[in-house]
Amino acid sequence: MTKLLLDSPAATAAAVTPDQRRGRWSARTRRDFIVFLALALPNLALIAVFTYLPLINNMYYSTLDWTLGSVSATVVGFDNYINFFTSTDAPKVLGTTAVFTVVTVGGSMVLGLLVALALNSKVRGTTFARSAVFAPYVLSGVGVGLVWLFIFDPGYGVLAWLLRGIGQQSPQWINDPQLSLVMVITVYVWKNLGYCAVVYLAGLQSLPRDVMEAASLDGANGFRRFINMSVPLLSPTTFFLLITTMLSSLQAFDLIRIMTPLGNGTSTLIYEAYLQAFGAYNRAGYSAAISVVLFAILLIITVLQLRFVERKVHYS
Amino acid sequence: MALNLDRRHFLGLAGAGAGAAALAACGGPSTGATTATSGAADIDFSGVKPAASIDFWTNHPGKSQDVEKAIIEKFQAKFPEIKVNLVTAGANYEEIAQKFQTSQAAKTDLPGLVVLSDVWWFRYYTNGNIIPLDGLIKQLDIKVDDFQKSLVADYKYADKQWALPYGRSTPLFYYNKDHFKAAGLPDRAPKTWQEFGEWAPKLKASSGAQYAYMYPALAGYAGWNMQNNLWGWGGSWSNGWDFNCDSTESVAALQWAQDSIYKDKWAGVSSKNAADDFSAGIASTTISSTGDLLGVLKSAKFNVGVGFLPGGPKNESPVCPTGGAGLGIPSGVSKEVQLAAATFLKFMTEPENTAAFSAATGYMPTRTSADMGAVLAKTPQIKTAMDQLAVTRVQDNARVFLPGADQEMAKSAAKILTQQGDVKAAMTELKATLEGIYTKDVKPKLKS
Repeated sequence: MTKLLLDSPAATAAAVTPDQRRGRWSARTRRDFIVFLALALPNLALIAVFTYLPLINNMYYSTLDWTLGSVSATVVGFDNYINFFTSTDAPKVLGTTAVFTVVTVGGSMVLGLLVALALNSKVRGTTFARSAVFAPYVLSGVGVGLVWLFIFDPGYGVLAWLLRGIGQQSPQWINDPQLSLVMVITVYVWKNLGYCAVVYLAGLQSLPRDVMEAASLDGANGFRRFINMSVPLLSPTTFFLLITTMLSSLQAFDLIRIMTPLGNGTSTLIYEAYLQAFGAYNRAGYSAAISVVLFAILLIITVLQLRFVERKVHYS
Repeated sequence: MALNLDRRHFLGLAGAGAGAAALAACGGPSTGATTATSGAADIDFSGVKPAASIDFWTNHPGKSQDVEKAIIEKFQAKFPEIKVNLVTAGANYEEIAQKFQTSQAAKTDLPGLVVLSDVWWFRYYTNGNIIPLDGLIKQLDIKVDDFQKSLVADYKYADKQWALPYGRSTPLFYYNKDHFKAAGLPDRAPKTWQEFGEWAPKLKASSGAQYAYMYPALAGYAGWNMQNNLWGWGGSWSNGWDFNCDSTESVAALQWAQDSIYKDKWAGVSSKNAADDFSAGIASTTISSTGDLLGVLKSAKFNVGVGFLPGGPKNESPVCPTGGAGLGIPSGVSKEVQLAAATFLKFMTEPENTAAFSAATGYMPTRTSADMGAVLAKTPQIKTAMDQLAVTRVQDNARVFLPGADQEMAKSAAKILTQQGDVKAAMTELKATLEGIYTKDVKPKLKS
């Protein structure tokens, strides 16, 4: 009862000192705030200089007709945005981005979960298997891309050699735009599923045992326990992975750059922005506009995920 | 106001901050009313003392790092007061251009001397990134008359010289002599593609190679190599500023190329590097740069033959474009650095050094007085490249002057050669793209 009284609005109001009512801070609050500033300001300054200042600059550049390398530019307002959305490339680039993101996020998460389930079993060799599965994630994207290019090479790649062994010609993985996208997606999923697997594995190992055992006692088989217990209880992990893998997929660059330098069939928004500015075209303003479009898409997806998807997340 | 920065909000902020920083890391342009082109006025270098140190940005064309180092060492011995730092600024012409353009935007760390390819120098000129060399040529007494005339003329615009030739090349026809012999073919390159069309089935049947001919990689320089096919049929990417890549002749040339892959099935398209595919024995013939010659001769386990590019039904000659790179001096560095760079440029392109460069790479010597006797005794195939220079043709404007045109040409070639797309439709689409680039990015900057 006493606690309830103290926690009530009336009690809280009564506990406020005259100084606090006048907006003055106590010496301790001031001291805490100084410590807070000392710890937070350097990081905030770095984020401001290296993230938000470039972001604002980029938005400004998107309003310019600016050839990279030129010392002068012309202000053109929203022309770069209009040119992008009315170009024949826009549907291709947006479509490629959507396909790449959906398949890589879905593929990495589903395969990651399956691998995590396998790694969660108590059999010999799981420690080695965990390391092996996670290793590609920490490898350099450039190195991974180069090695996989050798594997996919239709002339003298391992895959072509295997196919020739069964009397088949290798598909044109590198020259055919559609197959290029399949190739890059495959390698991206291979590289990143280890990350999803390890995060899912941590999620699986933190599931409440008593609840799972109760379900077993109630007669739920392994599949039912997985669908009705594990999957809902893993929803915070799934939500976390959904956001992080989607953000990284939308910003995937290294593998695309190494495996398909022309972006023939693999030009996602971020790669198109790179090609337009730093590739052959040097359209810096136009590229900046594409970057802003990507930023807007990232922002919208993140807000939607936080607002709607998270509501379905079950925090145990 | 309370700020609850929990994990979920942090993720949101991470999303908000991601994605759009690369460009913004560069310095910005000024938004003046005029567009900048390199100044046409001569720069006065009288009384200027050369800088003590310069950077030389190169991609080591034709795997030339060792010979570049050797030439720099010779330069240091002769000019100890000027230190030259050899900087690997990219793996190819595009990467070096990317670094150069980015440094222009950042307004920092520019080199004294830079390698610039046939498709990039004009853009540097229109952006005001390079200086005319005429004043320096005069002051340092660089013997321009001794350079191969056509190669020097490639860098002339508005009555000024914007670069001098360095690692200059033409495409060459490479053939596997052993395969030719096994097929009962003469030991020479075909005179025309029609003649090769008759040879190809025999080659494929007897050689055991996957392809009789390998088209160059589209991610490489498809726009450069395929001028040979277009010119042979009487077509081109462009005629002056008339973009005629959709003409009957151009379409016929590319249709023939498509048929060689899908109908006749004796040709393939390289995925990465046609010269490597040829060296590995995957194809009996290919077309690749003279800059690949020494590499091919080193790695091939068979007898390599080289010849002029084949002609077509309309033109047997000239059907060979020139290509490769020159050397230019940035405008954004001090006069002292520019003078030191020009001193090094002069030394780098002197007859004995261009001969050494040719010997190490297979690129053509840029000086007519270069003594190639020893080089040709060791690598006689270089003579073919030198002789072919007499029958070269100036490249199509569309390829060398339009930003991004090479990439668009490669994409169109991909549609035709790797997806069996409709040739006429692909060329009509390319024409519209090229016209758009010309109207927006080039026409306003041309001198009338």
